[in-house]
Amino acid sequence: MSDVTLYHWEPNANSGKPMLALMEKGVEFDSHYLDLLNFDQHKPDYLAVNPQGTIPAMTHGERVLTESTAMMEYVDEAFPGPKLMPEDLKDQWRARWWMKFIDQWLAPSFSMIGWSVFIGPAVRKKDPKELEAAIDRIPLPERRTAWRKAIYGTFSDDEMAESQRRVAVGIRMLEDALSERKWLACNSYSLADINGFNSTYALPLSQPDLANDEKTPHIMEWLRKIYERPAAKKTWAMGKTDMVKRVQLLERS
Amino acid sequence: MAMTLYHGEPNGPSLTVLAALFETGHEAELKAIDLTKGERHGSDVPRSVEVDMSIEGEGPVLVADGEPMADAVFVARYLNDAAETSPIVPTDPYARWEMMTWCRQIIERTAPAAAYLGVKATLADKLAVMGEDGFNAMIAPIRSEDLKARWIAARAGDFEDDKLEDSHAKIKAALEKIESQLKDGRDWLFGAFSIADLETYAWTAGMRGIVPEAFENKSRTAAWLGRMQARRSVARALSLAKSAAPQSVWAPGPEINRWG
Repeated sequence: MSDVTLYHWEPNANSGKPMLALMEKGVEFDSHYLDLLNFDQHKPDYLAVNPQGTIPAMTHGERVLTESTAMMEYVDEAFPGPKLMPEDLKDQWRARWWMKFIDQWLAPSFSMIGWSVFIGPAVRKKDPKELEAAIDRIPLPERRTAWRKAIYGTFSDDEMAESQRRVAVGIRMLEDALSERKWLACNSYSLADINGFNSTYALPLSQPDLANDEKTPHIMEWLRKIYERPAAKKTWAMGKTDMVKRVQLLERS
Repeated sequence: MAMTLYHGEPNGPSLTVLAALFETGHEAELKAIDLTKGERHGSDVPRSVEVDMSIEGEGPVLVADGEPMADAVFVARYLNDAAETSPIVPTDPYARWEMMTWCRQIIERTAPAAAYLGVKATLADKLAVMGEDGFNAMIAPIRSEDLKARWIAARAGDFEDDKLEDSHAKIKAALEKIESQLKDGRDWLFGAFSIADLETYAWTAGMRGIVPEAFENKSRTAAWLGRMQARRSVARALSLAKSAAPQSVWAPGPEINRWG
């Protein structure tokens, strides 16, 4: 029994960020798995923990934390273990810049594509009435809008094309950054790498023409190095669905 | 440490960083640029991928030891951490999480709404009367395609009704949140003065003329706005204004969330 409980879905995107950060720090935590596709995050038990109904959430004693990137910074500061933010202040700034860029610009484009090909169709198999009731239970109005778009696939062709454009730009930016330095934000492994990995580990499968050993050797090496970390291995072993098996593509041949 | 701050009128992100600079006591050379004329992308301002692709849009650029940095809250955080004490960031990790989470909501929800409404009210007409060649030359150096698209939409007067309505709602929600945060009679949003006060003030103070109803019947917020305006760092930043009403100077900011 730990005084830390993490409420999370698969080790992927936002859920995977604090999972990997906790593993890297060596913090023992109780795992509370929520099935995102079954809308567990909008059920009363979870809303009692996080009234906003967003995943992930973490409790540390009496403290409740949401927002995965800010949560990772808390994990880094509040617990002993290896430092996951660089020493140099400009490197810290760069780590925060990249995390925000990924969270607010790049990851939403990945997820728009991901939802349209994977999650939307999976969720649409459910009973329509049940689905509407599930959407109505979502506490935040902007999340209701987002879920409607995702579930019913109402993204326009222009929006999808813009997401694809951003993915291409973002992949180029990642490759450039990783060819200038060892890790994404600086020359030491940091929260920016943990954040970035969670959004990009499946790139070789989802964007094979843009991310591959020929075009983006630095991205591929970076993904493999993170995948090989014991903390990443433990984190991805916590996955319950096939989606996280995509990470195995990073196994060196 | 040698620092130069390229800043716009003291409003929005430029106000956050100017006031943070004065709060933290660093020396920096100040260079005023006109963000509404695209000067951030001109040859005088050092560039980096982080400046070009900042999600904040037309924000200030701090150059420290040769590194051009963007994103006001993180620049303010840098200035704080480079100071001997931690004057505008709490030292307890949980209090930091609260402050950074608050700032993130301002950046993601309030700032895009304020920039959208502010640009429509104060910049769109000026862009519309510019000659096409002049406008195209002004936006040509902008490397972020989506930021460039926001400039083009502003000049075309392309403001969608549902986004305008939603932006009004977001500003109202921000003011409700501020009033609620202050309900125990505290002076500042998180007890001690912090970056959250600066960032929140910087994006909301200019909304008084545009969304006046959001400010009605909010006595604690009114008093907080007064304290902010009177605070030495903010007053000093405001004194740098080149226009009579810097709170009415807006340039394209962060985009409205594409997920709705």
